[in-house]
Amino acid sequence: MTRHVNQTGLALYASGDVSLWQRASIGLHVRQCERCRERVNQFRNDAKALRVVSAEIPEGVDWARLSAEMTANIRVGLEAGECVAPRTHRKSWRIPPIWRPAAMAAGVMALLAGAWWLNMPAQDAKSLNRVLQALTHGPNAALDDRGPVIEASPEGIELRKDGGALGVAQDSAQLLTVSVSTQGSASAHYVDQDTGQVTITSVYAQ
Amino acid sequence: MRSNWIIFALAASAMAQTPGRKLDFPVDSPVLAVSSDWSETKATPRGGAYVLDVHAVLSLRNASQKRIRGVTLSVLAQEVTPGGKGSVSVPSLDVAPGESFPLRIDLPLLCPLGAGGPMVEVKLDGVLFDDLTFYGSDRLHSRRTMTVWELEARRDRKYFKNLLETAGAEGLQKEVLTGLDRQREHPSAGVQMVRGRSTNTDPEREVQFAFLQMPDSPVEPTAGSARIAGNEARAPHIRVQNRSDRPVKHLELGWIVKDQQGREFLAASIPSDVNLAPGKSGAVTQDTALKFSERTQIDGMTGFVASAEYADGSYWIPTRGELNDPRLRNIVAPSPEEQRLLQLYRKKGLNGLIEELKKF
Repeated sequence: MTRHVNQTGLALYASGDVSLWQRASIGLHVRQCERCRERVNQFRNDAKALRVVSAEIPEGVDWARLSAEMTANIRVGLEAGECVAPRTHRKSWRIPPIWRPAAMAAGVMALLAGAWWLNMPAQDAKSLNRVLQALTHGPNAALDDRGPVIEASPEGIELRKDGGALGVAQDSAQLLTVSVSTQGSASAHYVDQDTGQVTITSVYAQ
Repeated sequence: MRSNWIIFALAASAMAQTPGRKLDFPVDSPVLAVSSDWSETKATPRGGAYVLDVHAVLSLRNASQKRIRGVTLSVLAQEVTPGGKGSVSVPSLDVAPGESFPLRIDLPLLCPLGAGGPMVEVKLDGVLFDDLTFYGSDRLHSRRTMTVWELEARRDRKYFKNLLETAGAEGLQKEVLTGLDRQREHPSAGVQMVRGRSTNTDPEREVQFAFLQMPDSPVEPTAGSARIAGNEARAPHIRVQNRSDRPVKHLELGWIVKDQQGREFLAASIPSDVNLAPGKSGAVTQDTALKFSERTQIDGMTGFVASAEYADGSYWIPTRGELNDPRLRNIVAPSPEEQRLLQLYRKKGLNGLIEELKKF
C-alpha cells in the first residue's frame, strides 16, 4: 500500500481540483485506504453542507444595502490602491553624449559672465547698457550717454549719473507739481495733508 | 547652520551699503538741529544695484531773533551721483524766535554694486527771515528762490484778503474752489533733461517762440527759437529787452510746449543771469535738451517772463491779474503759499482759512 495522501491532496481530490494523473493516483490509494476514503467523504459532505448554507440569505440581512456597501468598499479600495501605487516616472531628458562637452562649456560661460557682470565697473556697465539700447531702440534712445540726466514725472524727480540715481522726496506728503529748470535742476512740490505745510525738494546736476 | 551663514553674509552685505550720514550746520547758524532720527533708513539689493531708502526726521529750532520764513537744506550723496546734489526747502514758514519745527527728508538712492557705501551729508544752504534778509552759503541760489516764494506768498495772501473784504466769504470760497479745480487738473508731462551738446541725429527744425506779454514786466522777450526733433527740444535762444529804468541782473522765463493734440504744459523754466542795463537788449541761451514722452510731438512753443531780479536786489513777480491770463491760468502751478492755503481750506474749511489769513 502506498503511503497516505496529505490533507491538501485529499481536499483537492474531493473537490475535483487535481490533474488527471493525480486523480488516478490518489483515487487508487483512496480505494485501498479506508482512513483516507473517510476523509475524502468528510470533505465532500462539508462542501455540500457549505453550499446549502451559503445558498440561504440570513434573516435580517438587507441585501440591497449590503450590495451597495460592498460596491462602495470596492471603490474605496481601488482609490486607495491608486494612492499607494508606485509612481510612474517620466522619461528623463538626457543630453546626447556628443553635446555634453558643449553644455558644460555653456554652463561655465554663464557662470563667468554672471561673475563679470556683478563685478563690472559702473562706467563699463553704462557703456554696455548704451550699446544694448542702441541695438534695440536706435542711436537716439537714451539721454544718459550725454551726461547727467534730470527727470521730472508725476511720480517725482530724479538725478541719474554713472549708473547711480538720487531722488529727493517727501514720502508722507502729497506730490502736487513738478518742474524743470534748464540750468540743470528739477523741483517737486509736496503738501502735508494734515498741516498744509509745503515742502519743495530739488535735484541739481552741477 | 550653513544657511545661517549665508543669511548672515547677505545681511552683512546689505548693511555695508547703508549710507553714513552727517549733519553739518555752521557754528553761528540761526537754525539748530535739536534732534534727528534716521532709524527708518534701509537698503535693499535689487539686481546689480542697491536701492537705499534714506529717511530722516529733523527737528530744527529758530535760534535767531527774527521770524523765519523759509529754510533750505542741501543734500549730497557724492558716491551715488558725483557732483550731483539735492535740496529740501520749506517755504511759507512763520517760526518765531525759540520755536521748533520739523523737517522730513526722504532720499531714494540707487547705488551700483561696487560703488562703495554712500555718504549722505545734509548742510544748511540758507534761511530767509521775515524782513527778507538772508543767512547761508547760498550755493544752491536758495536766496533768490526763497525770496521769490515769499513775495508770491505775500501777493497771494493779499489777494485772498482783498477778495474776502470785497466779495465776502462766498467770493473767497468761490476763488478757492476754482484754485482747487485748477490744481487738480494741472497738466504735467514727464520730461528728461540733459545739459550740454546734443548728439541726436534725427532731422531737426527750428521752431519760433510765441510770447505772452506781461505789461508790468521790466523785461520783454522779443524773439526766440529752439531746435526741435520729434519729442526733443534743445538749445532755446531768446532775445530780451530791459524796458525798465533799472538794471536787471537775473531773469527767469517760462517755456510752454504745445503737443500735436493742442495740449499745452509748462515744459521748463529758463533762468539766466542777464545783466541788462535800462533800454538794452540781450540774449538768453541755454545749451540744454528736453526730451518728452515718445507720444509727445512738439508742435509749438510759448515763452513768458516768470520773474526778474534787479541789480539792487529787489524783485519783480507777475501780479495775480497777469497770471489770470486764460492761457497761463491752467498751466502755471499755484505758488507754494496758495498750495498751502488751499490745503488748509480742505482740512479746516472756510473759517480755518479766514483765521489763517488774519494771522498775517
